[in-house]
Amino acid sequence: MEKKKLQYALIGGFILLIVVLFPLVSNNFIIRFGTDILMFAIMASAWNIIGGYTGYASFGNVVFFGIGGYITAILMEKAGMHFAVAYLAAGFGAALFAVLIGLPVLRLHGHYFAIATLGVAEAMKALVQNLEITEGNSGIYLPMLDLSIKGQYYFFFYMMLGTLILTLLLTYLVLNAKLGYSLIAIREDEDAANSVGINTTLSKTIAFALSGFFTGLAGSIYAYQQAFLKPGPAFSVQTTVKMIVMAVFGGMGKLFGPLIGAFSIEIISETLSNYFLVAHTLFFGTVVILAIVFTPKGLIDMITQRKFGISYFLENIREHRI
Amino acid sequence: MAILEVKNLTKAFGGLLAVNDVSFNVEEGEILGLIGPNGSGKTTTFNCINQFFPVTSGDIRFKGKSIVGLKTHQICHLGIGRTFQVIKPLARMTVLENITASAFCRVNNINDAQEEALRILEFCGLADHNTKLARSLPLAGRKRLEIARALATKPKLLLLDETAAGLNPGELDEAIDLIKKIRDTGISILVVEHIMKVIMTISDRIHAINFGQTIAEGTPQEVANNPAVIKAYLGEERA
Repeated sequence: MEKKKLQYALIGGFILLIVVLFPLVSNNFIIRFGTDILMFAIMASAWNIIGGYTGYASFGNVVFFGIGGYITAILMEKAGMHFAVAYLAAGFGAALFAVLIGLPVLRLHGHYFAIATLGVAEAMKALVQNLEITEGNSGIYLPMLDLSIKGQYYFFFYMMLGTLILTLLLTYLVLNAKLGYSLIAIREDEDAANSVGINTTLSKTIAFALSGFFTGLAGSIYAYQQAFLKPGPAFSVQTTVKMIVMAVFGGMGKLFGPLIGAFSIEIISETLSNYFLVAHTLFFGTVVILAIVFTPKGLIDMITQRKFGISYFLENIREHRI
Repeated sequence: MAILEVKNLTKAFGGLLAVNDVSFNVEEGEILGLIGPNGSGKTTTFNCINQFFPVTSGDIRFKGKSIVGLKTHQICHLGIGRTFQVIKPLARMTVLENITASAFCRVNNINDAQEEALRILEFCGLADHNTKLARSLPLAGRKRLEIARALATKPKLLLLDETAAGLNPGELDEAIDLIKKIRDTGISILVVEHIMKVIMTISDRIHAINFGQTIAEGTPQEVANNPAVIKAYLGEERA
């Protein structure tokens, strides 16, 4: 057991070292691509907290991304604050919003929760489109980062990397504490969880707030990186769908599942769009469907169980018969 | 002294009186059996006690204090544990994780919670199944898991809802032994059961209800010979 832990730690450390050193030997395009992967890894991992562990499939998590971005934009552009302040405010602002919206919405289950969260995100988009402080549909500019071009690429890459590590570290700590056990118990059976003394409302709300916090941080970095924010892209349903697909593809309710999902989905979709300019979404959809049918537990299950091949796929299909 | 006092408990679903003016006490350290035909309101009574449902009228007192209006998780913290008739294992968690999750009711540290969970699993005879997923246990194991999960919250009063249903004769004897063993640790028990062998052997007293109303109360012998009980179970001409 101890030996295995050491082995995992070594592999993990090695991968981390490669990721940390990777920008130093890459061109700007690749660094930017890596930054995108990291951003989606943060958001998919954050979605995993509420969707994967707690079992509440949020279809509106992009709202935290948009809120984080807009808080950053407004604080930096209108109030002239430093990015560090805006970054933290974005996280805490998104978490606060999650608490406020979670108290009514987390009473709903299953499809109803999904639809309600979707509605919240759309409503927020409409609100931002019409407010004066967000400058409506014309979009809001942010101050540019005062660094060389290369420096900017480095800055955003390492900000995303640091935020991802924070996300995973905190999730890991939660999983090994009372809260983590409570969340998974809620996913498995909320009534049973309630009857063994778990304050389900409180636990779910904290989970939603954590999910919102990390997504808000990602939104903040994104806004600063873009230096311009519009309601459409900031609150796009597609972003939520991408988070969910990545989390499911990599492995829901597993710490590193969404990270692996974000990495592989981005690589696959980038490769496909290089080869098939027009039809790549068609191929991409096919890949996702095949993955869900054959490996519903995600890529991480294949990696950790070290199982490949037909028998594993058939076993999965039998277990998750539709 | 009574650990649980149910006074004139009434629960209405629309026009249906599922529980109608039922009163009984569970004394400290005793096993009280709650019997009645299907649909007589036993599980509804349980759901009222742990506040899954709001009570329509009447009072429920635990250790002398009214618990009506509290939240379900607060009821557990006060010291009332329960099992479910339709068992609710946390399917994709291991047996140990199932029990650890509820041991967190009393402790905040994961090591303490796991230690407590291991002790409970040993007590319930599930120690060999620690690492198995809850859903992979056979029925008797999942029933035991249900009891273990309630025990891990360190209750003073345990509500058992048909924990013997569906077990074979050998498993039944083991279940009876386990329930007695729990009573011997000083936990008071309110048990709902259809299997007469179980309810007659373990209960100190029995409270019988039908159509939501009390029809008899007394020792197992008294209740078994009560005409109203026989009528409720077997029909008019047998009584």
